[in-house]
Amino acid sequence: MEISHSVKERTIAENSLVILLQGIHGYVTTVDLRDESTALGRITNVDAFMNIRLAEVTFTDRQGRVSQLDDLFVTGRNVRYVHIPDKVDIKATVEKQLQLIHKVRYFGGRDKGRKEFPTARHK
Amino acid sequence: MSFLKRFPPPAEGIRQQQPDTEAVLGGRGLGTGTLYIAESRLSWLDKSGLGFSLDYPTISLHAVSRDLNAYPWEHLYVMVNAKFEEEEPKETPMAEGEEEEDSDDDDEPIAEFRFVPSDKSALEAMFSAMCECQALHPDPEDEDSDNDYEGGEYDVEAHEQGQGDIPSFYTYEEGLSHLTAEGQATLERLEGMLAQSVSSQYNMAGVRTEDSLREFEDGMEVDTAPVVAGQFEDAEVDH
Repeated sequence: MEISHSVKERTIAENSLVILLQGIHGYVTTVDLRDESTALGRITNVDAFMNIRLAEVTFTDRQGRVSQLDDLFVTGRNVRYVHIPDKVDIKATVEKQLQLIHKVRYFGGRDKGRKEFPTARHK
Repeated sequence: MSFLKRFPPPAEGIRQQQPDTEAVLGGRGLGTGTLYIAESRLSWLDKSGLGFSLDYPTISLHAVSRDLNAYPWEHLYVMVNAKFEEEEPKETPMAEGEEEEDSDDDDEPIAEFRFVPSDKSALEAMFSAMCECQALHPDPEDEDSDNDYEGGEYDVEAHEQGQGDIPSFYTYEEGLSHLTAEGQATLERLEGMLAQSVSSQYNMAGVRTEDSLREFEDGMEVDTAPVVAGQFEDAEVDH
């Protein structure tokens, strides 16, 4: 549920359904990969590029061999489906994520004070 | 093992360096060496200086495997979207070959690498380092998400407020500090491209202040120089 620190990633997420995946961090579900393998595990992170990190994974490769993986990172390009758990309210999840993004974006309020670059710039 | 080549280890951007790590391709051990998880690529070199590199865009997934039933040693598993011939010599032995066309596999070529460190406790750090490096190489083929910044933080605030105060500067700064040099250069380049393509009514939050908006209306060329604190210190800001 953490919102990305990157303006670019927040904008990408806001404009795509990746925002839904970012709202189901912590859920255990199945990710179908492009090569027909599947990964069942707990979603720990999804970024704007749909790279997915899963924990405690039961991985079934395309030959059907099953193995356990502690941590799995699959690139967005190789994701075919992410199963959304039935108990997830999709609309509410998307709305909540959008709210979180707006909270970050409008931090400090729209009309309050000068919002230019702070003089102390950290790199 | 003819794809092994001699090359110097990466000089910069190394997130994790793991010595005493065995490399295995498919079912074949390649020996023991050092794994370099660098921002530019993943490299492995054995003690004689021979090794190979993998480009992150070719890596489909990576994982930590502690399932000894599946493989007898705890390791970092890396699946690559390319073919590596273990016997025949190839034209591009540097392992950047993306020969995704002709392969005897079903749909696409897959190569499975395993990196078995002698220090098992390093696996999580190796995994995390790879996640970070992968995030630096987003898929260039991604259809929709890349350039659609309309309606995002870049123009919403400024549009509503006319000129001037752009609340997302705060988050821009915050975001900037989390970007690597490469990510920042990419961001600046994209912003420059977008800034040049927007109309004079628009202002992209985080990129321009009201000062350059006036410049826009004067018909002056947009300056795509990177945003630097103090750059617009002489701007007249309406409080």
